[in-house]
Amino acid sequence: MDDDPEQLDKYVEDLLQDRKPERTSLGDEDALRARQAAAMLRAARPGASLPSGDFVRRIQRSIEEWVRPQQEAAAPRRDLSRRSLLLGGAGGLAAGLVAAVAGQRLLHPSRNLGGQPPLVTEGTWREVMALQALRDGVPTRFSSGALEGYLLRTGQEVRALSAVCTHMGCLLNWSTFRSEFECPCHGATFDINGEPSGDYSDPNALRPLPVLEVRVVRGTVQVYTV
Amino acid sequence: MRTGDSDVIRGRRDPNPARILPLRAPGRAGQAHLVWAYQTHVTAIYQYVYSRVGNRADAEDLTSQVFMKAINGMRDDVSVTELRSWLYRVAQTTLADHWRHYYAEETTELLENLAPPPPHPENAEAAQRVEALLETLPEQYRRVLELRFLKGYSVREVAQELGLSETNVKVIQFRALNRAGRERREN
Repeated sequence: MDDDPEQLDKYVEDLLQDRKPERTSLGDEDALRARQAAAMLRAARPGASLPSGDFVRRIQRSIEEWVRPQQEAAAPRRDLSRRSLLLGGAGGLAAGLVAAVAGQRLLHPSRNLGGQPPLVTEGTWREVMALQALRDGVPTRFSSGALEGYLLRTGQEVRALSAVCTHMGCLLNWSTFRSEFECPCHGATFDINGEPSGDYSDPNALRPLPVLEVRVVRGTVQVYTV
Repeated sequence: MRTGDSDVIRGRRDPNPARILPLRAPGRAGQAHLVWAYQTHVTAIYQYVYSRVGNRADAEDLTSQVFMKAINGMRDDVSVTELRSWLYRVAQTTLADHWRHYYAEETTELLENLAPPPPHPENAEAAQRVEALLETLPEQYRRVLELRFLKGYSVREVAQELGLSETNVKVIQFRALNRAGRERREN
């Protein structure tokens, strides 16, 4: 069927109302491309592309079921501590596990973590990037092994924070406009020091973002990770 | 320099990172890692899909499909980075199928440009792409799309704002979206 302004507007209207557009056959590729452009524009509206909390919870439960193995073998001990690490920043999910990590603090005395127990207890130092690549005062995202974090440079000093929201484990974005870490899932915010900020309220108060161990060796930033 | 690319979730190194085998997750702990690794990507994949279909219902359906397919087709001892690019690849093919089945009479080349997936989900990146796209359009086209999509105006409100008839607004919107669609393909 040939496309026309009325038909296309019906499609646009569906998108703007967040309705599933009617299924139609489109004759030419231009018609399809126009709809893809409309979808892209629709998604650009602030907040439009955030999934609902319900959906996130639903699919996270499904993922658990889909991954569930047929047979369960005994797990190596090392994996358990890695699990604590991975979930360490994930709020309620991690309830008992945080205690488990804290219990291991004695094995590995904390280094410059401001009194927090370290997330990584038996890791290695890994290079993530050159100090030069970091801009003063602007958090820079990194992934290293199991860690997802932000590096924060002040002069020749570097600190690192986990990039995992302590609410439900979503990855945080840094907003340069508002100078804060923002969670795309449910809107939690954290200041540049990783302290919960703003008026986000949750029955379980948010914990600050875990501080990660970091050092600079010959101009290269290293993170203690597994 | 070493990055996360070479590190596997389960602590074992894969001699051949390109191979994809349909394995099940073995132990309970390995399984928890895998669950976690997939779960942290839910929002990013949803946003990726949403920005291509523009509505919640389709985005939720397709995101679920992506994870189901990805989990069935992926071995368990992958790195986070591998898993991420695998998810985006599955998302791309799932979207292509969606467009083909729903809207095309015959198979056309509908695959998303197979550019490497974004290293990290960044909302800023999507906003920039839209801004760049709008920049390529003539002033009047851009105004109509901005009011309609970014401000959520109805056709009537756009017509009033710009002193045009409603029919006129729909025609401009039609031309603007077709033009934007062609621009997207070329870039």
